[in-house]
Amino acid sequence: MFDGLALLAQGVGHFLTPASLFNVVWATLLGLVIGILPGLTATMGVALLVTLTYKMPPDQAILTLMCVYLGAIYGGSRTAILLNIPGTPANAAATLDGYPLARQGRAGLAMGLATTSSTLGTIVGIFFLAIIAPALADFALEFGSYEFFWLALFGVLISGQMAGSDTPLKGYIAGILGLLVAMVGMEMLHAYQRFTFGVGALGGGIDLIPAMVGAFGFAEILTSMKRRVVAHVAAVNDRVVPTFREIFQYWRTIIRSGVIGTFVGIIPGVGEDIGSWSSYAAAKRFSKKPEEFGKGSQEGLIAAETGDNAVVSAAMIPTLTLALPGSAAAAVLIAAMLIHGIRPGPMLMVENPIFLYQVVAMLLLATLANLIFGLSLTKLLIKVLVVPRERLMAVVYVLCVVGSFAITQRMFDVYVMLVFGIAGFILREMRYPMAPLVLGIVLGDLLDINLRRGLLLSDGDISPFFTRPISAVLFAITLLTIVMSMPVVSRRVSGVFRRLVRQGRTG
Amino acid sequence: MEMESGEHALRARADLLTAIVLVALGLIVVYLSWTMPRLEQRHVHPATIPGLLPMILGLALSFCGLLLGLRSWAIQAEGGWQALGRALVSRPARRVLAVVALALFHTLVLVGWLPFWAASMLFIFTFIVLFEVFMTDQPINLMRSAPWALAIAVAAGWGISFIFEDVFLVRLP
Repeated sequence: MFDGLALLAQGVGHFLTPASLFNVVWATLLGLVIGILPGLTATMGVALLVTLTYKMPPDQAILTLMCVYLGAIYGGSRTAILLNIPGTPANAAATLDGYPLARQGRAGLAMGLATTSSTLGTIVGIFFLAIIAPALADFALEFGSYEFFWLALFGVLISGQMAGSDTPLKGYIAGILGLLVAMVGMEMLHAYQRFTFGVGALGGGIDLIPAMVGAFGFAEILTSMKRRVVAHVAAVNDRVVPTFREIFQYWRTIIRSGVIGTFVGIIPGVGEDIGSWSSYAAAKRFSKKPEEFGKGSQEGLIAAETGDNAVVSAAMIPTLTLALPGSAAAAVLIAAMLIHGIRPGPMLMVENPIFLYQVVAMLLLATLANLIFGLSLTKLLIKVLVVPRERLMAVVYVLCVVGSFAITQRMFDVYVMLVFGIAGFILREMRYPMAPLVLGIVLGDLLDINLRRGLLLSDGDISPFFTRPISAVLFAITLLTIVMSMPVVSRRVSGVFRRLVRQGRTG
Repeated sequence: MEMESGEHALRARADLLTAIVLVALGLIVVYLSWTMPRLEQRHVHPATIPGLLPMILGLALSFCGLLLGLRSWAIQAEGGWQALGRALVSRPARRVLAVVALALFHTLVLVGWLPFWAASMLFIFTFIVLFEVFMTDQPINLMRSAPWALAIAVAAGWGISFIFEDVFLVRLP
């Protein structure tokens, strides 16, 4: 245990240089701005910035990306409170109580609460990250092809199930489409080119970053531009920094939301928005004053913001130890790490054990920066909201083109971005969730290799997939997931869950 | 979900349409994977043919598409097709198409032809003016929009080139 603390201290010390701190500052500010501006999401911000940080040394690059990620999730709560529009989907639950509070003239208090509870949420997540990740990585070293097959499959399925939408079917379809996209290109076992149709550029498959920039960047631009939006910004007149008591009278809610957010973060592909809603619903369920929820309940706001931020840190647990993205932005981080030569997965703790603690250190620094900037610069940052969307989106599109081109220097990747942007937009309009799609793309190769390698090792016999102890457990969980999504079963069980969430949403 | 029945009907019909597309796509994938070389001459184990997972995925896709289609078929959807048709030519749809058209023009035509900063400036300027003056419910005067559009286009075009190429040393198209 003291080993861990020593490594953590080393990790933090590593970043206490002027250059690193400078990166923390500008990246956090950028993240906050991205979060505040509706139409720009955390995932989009991270995806676009991967290109910018391409030439930086790996630790600085990942530091920058984490600061932007965290900053964006924080920043999104500003618009949620002031405009009733969540800056990022993760902050949707914050609108329910944040905006009424603002309308009551307590916008400053709301933002202060949001900032501090975000900080606490991240810290809870960091705590679990530091404890669980090394243990999980150790355990994962026992995993073989069979186990990884089930893990990858489970990741895609659970993401599809829970990503919310009118039916889990759409989530599964999105996941399958993502997996199919991953099938394009040279497969790893026999070096055979699949689905390339003679197009040379497809030989290497479809790169994740251009696909993400398309699906989360260009598609988002198209969605934003559908309508002209005029924003009514609530004025901020009261004190922003909350008192100690104002926060800690809800310590139970904070811890509960932090744990829920952590749990949600660990589940692959289920992101900050689910963490936020689940924490909110649970807080309402256990609150002494549930009738206040939806009308300006401070407890509700605290729950929502603690929950979504805990996800950010906890999402790094499966991301780093199993290479299974805990959220969509984490998927982009995996791609970024691979670009910089860091290989997430069980071997990470063996090859590069200090990296985990460096990530913890990054999260701590980012949290600190967000706390400071969030509390002090709030009034200044919301001036950013005056920028009309048309102007912003034009610039963002150019960034998307740059973002898809810069890493591989191929126009082909820009075309990939265009295709995924248009397809992503259509899918979104049809209520298909994007997270399972991303997970499919990230996990497709893993699923394929492990399926076939497992079969090769057992000489075509599929029983090891079901009889090896860990595999059997994973298989059972996967089966449970599918069964739960069937209307007959789920109507009973998730009726309870959905009633809680709907209660949360409509107040 | 709180949706008026019109929108509900529209979605049901749109889902039905996509379901058909998905089933077709799944079947195409199964066909392509089935006919994928089995690499026998390399003495590859039959369980590890490249087409294995794509085939399974294709089947899964068709199956899910089928379920989706059945679900959409079962939903009562009066006037769904008309609503879908209307949605496709509505103002939001035209705005989206305009964005796509402009984007494609920039990326496919302008980028190879002009230096990147020039292509981007032209794109940004056109984009802003188009959506502030023409394709909007609350148009503002061209004289008021154009100078701002120009300023932003120049600043952004130059800024992006400078930041990426000179500060971060990333080559642009």
